[in-house]
Amino acid sequence: MTEWFDLDRDEERAVAAFMSRVASLQIPDPGSRIPDPAQLWCKAALLRKWDAERRAQRPLDVMLPIEIAGGLVAAGLLLYWSIPYL
Amino acid sequence: MGRLDEAAFAALHARSARALRAYVYRVVGNTSDADDIVQEAFLRMLRADVPAGDEEHLRRYLYRVASNLIVDRWRKRTHEQGEEMMPEPASPRPRYEDDAAIAKIFAELKPRDRALLWLAYVEGESHEEIASSLGVGRRGVKVMLFRARRRLRDLLQARGVLVNS
Repeated sequence: MTEWFDLDRDEERAVAAFMSRVASLQIPDPGSRIPDPAQLWCKAALLRKWDAERRAQRPLDVMLPIEIAGGLVAAGLLLYWSIPYL
Repeated sequence: MGRLDEAAFAALHARSARALRAYVYRVVGNTSDADDIVQEAFLRMLRADVPAGDEEHLRRYLYRVASNLIVDRWRKRTHEQGEEMMPEPASPRPRYEDDAAIAKIFAELKPRDRALLWLAYVEGESHEEIASSLGVGRRGVKVMLFRARRRLRDLLQARGVLVNS
């Protein structure tokens, strides 16, 4: 079973040799733009806070169109019932 | 198990950021995307409030997030371009000593193959660890890795690269 998943020894050696060359290639721009951990920590804290705010706000956002629709229906019914008295 | 605190995160960052960036860079092929993905992976880990503990587990979590981000970005790019992004074909016989030629040959593989080969050969991960890093099944990794190695072998043969250095 496992043999089927193996290259022959020379091929495996060739692949391994190539990959070791790939591993030793220089990565450009070693002083990268990745922020330092303190910056990342602050940014994540801010994002977590926004996530929490958004979660807290979600039920209100869901209810808003329902409230508007309810208000419009109530206003319509009020108008309908008051027509005989107008 | 408590949450990851700032000091533990700084230690994890110090030990894994460089290697993670090297992995992402080799798979995506440019520093700008690599930096964005590495930053996003760290932020997602922090936002997910993963429990502190085994550093290896956290490291693998980072690699999994980064691998998913790589695939997302690749899919987005290929979708936008309407066709699969293929690097320029390498010259028929690049000099094996030439770093640029090696990078170019490696770039000809698909991102998933590059990720698999990097994790297996450079990070020295087992099938189980690769499965965890890429978020795929362990049995699937074995097959995918075999195919990736075979594709690399075919590529090396097609380029006439002598690997018996």
